[in-house]
Amino acid sequence: MKSTTDYARYDDERLIRLIVQGQEGALAQLYDRYNRLIFSLALAVVDDRATAEEITLDVFMRVWQKAETYRAEQAKVSTWLTHIARHHAIDILRRRSVRPDHFAVAWDDVDFKAESPDQDPQEMTEISMRRERVQAALAKLPEEQKQALLLAYFSGYSHSQVAEALHQPLGTIKTRLRLAMQKLREFLGDEADASVQPSSAYNRSKEER
Amino acid sequence: MSEEYHVLDLLPAYAIGSLEADEVNRVEQHLRSCLICRTEANAFQETAEQLSFAAPVASPSPDLKERLLQRARAARPGESTVSRQPARPFWERLLPAWGLASLALIVGLAGLNFLLWQRVDRIEFSTAPGGMRAVPLTATDAAPAATGFVLISADGGDGALVVDGLPPLGEDQQYQLWLIRDGTRTSGAVFSTDEKSYGGTRIRAPLSIAACGRSSRPALNERNKIGVFEWPPTPRKSQN
Repeated sequence: MKSTTDYARYDDERLIRLIVQGQEGALAQLYDRYNRLIFSLALAVVDDRATAEEITLDVFMRVWQKAETYRAEQAKVSTWLTHIARHHAIDILRRRSVRPDHFAVAWDDVDFKAESPDQDPQEMTEISMRRERVQAALAKLPEEQKQALLLAYFSGYSHSQVAEALHQPLGTIKTRLRLAMQKLREFLGDEADASVQPSSAYNRSKEER
Repeated sequence: MSEEYHVLDLLPAYAIGSLEADEVNRVEQHLRSCLICRTEANAFQETAEQLSFAAPVASPSPDLKERLLQRARAARPGESTVSRQPARPFWERLLPAWGLASLALIVGLAGLNFLLWQRVDRIEFSTAPGGMRAVPLTATDAAPAATGFVLISADGGDGALVVDGLPPLGEDQQYQLWLIRDGTRTSGAVFSTDEKSYGGTRIRAPLSIAACGRSSRPALNERNKIGVFEWPPTPRKSQN
């Protein structure tokens, strides 16, 4: 059995391949790398810690059991994980037929300095940087576009549901969402086009081998 | 397909899941046959999922990791998927031709027909610069003009498939590369060919084959030992 330190040297794709082999240490490493991201996303959708933890478990168990279905040519590992997590969380939200009476994601509450100091250093360097980039990109969007975008993303609302929630014409909401996504893609272009593993830490470890 | 039929305007909303059901159907039907829109859809999907990084940061309970690992130990990877995959009839048709072959590598059409294949015990590796190895694939009567190679990286950790001369497919069809060991098959890649019948793809699942040897998963056919696909395969020197 490899130590956790060994697995920390591997990029996400390599971890997925090791998970396919049934290597528990690879799953543990992937969890260390992304548990906060997945839990935070789930919590933002369902607004309930216990449910968000169950969703987090479900996501990583799905990876454990279905890792062979991952296709690197279609998406990054982190994209795959968040896609699973968000859809699962929204499904749970819909099954409950009860939505939080407030917008679960309060953007002004985001405080990067509030992160636990004992978190995985790789997460500090990679995920925190990506968080900051996304936050900066969102800040460039007009407020009404950002509002519609986040409502759709974190609540799973359709165009018409967003329009109803925000008391806006359907055509207006469609335009806002389309423009918001196009701008966000433009602002995050470098990130989206980056290699699957942008981690400088990973690259260093590869060079050392 | 002409420009007027593209669904580019719908792809941003498709990526964040805000389209209505009828629009989703329209987009997904189009994506099956349009590489341009599929590429755009993937790009918007990457953009959409980046929004997850902006969720307010929160940490789960410290014991959640141990709960995960306990569940993982109780359910080994692949069990649920394999148990839901019955052996397909085409296996029985292929087995006699393979006899006691100890390794099989198949390019087929969604499991219905196989067009290129190779057995490890008969492979004569070609060594390319950089230590890469090339495994030639053999055409079958179903596609006598087809040729192909599997390229294996020097450390055996990565593979790529290159094919040429495969018959054209319908819009809703793709080719599939199967890696087989002890009767357990794993999809190595799903891919399409261009209008000149040329295609290539990275092989994504070779390590699952290596894992089969110690897995508790039942082989799809215990009686017929189709073979062992070693990954990385052990090069066999030519007898010549």
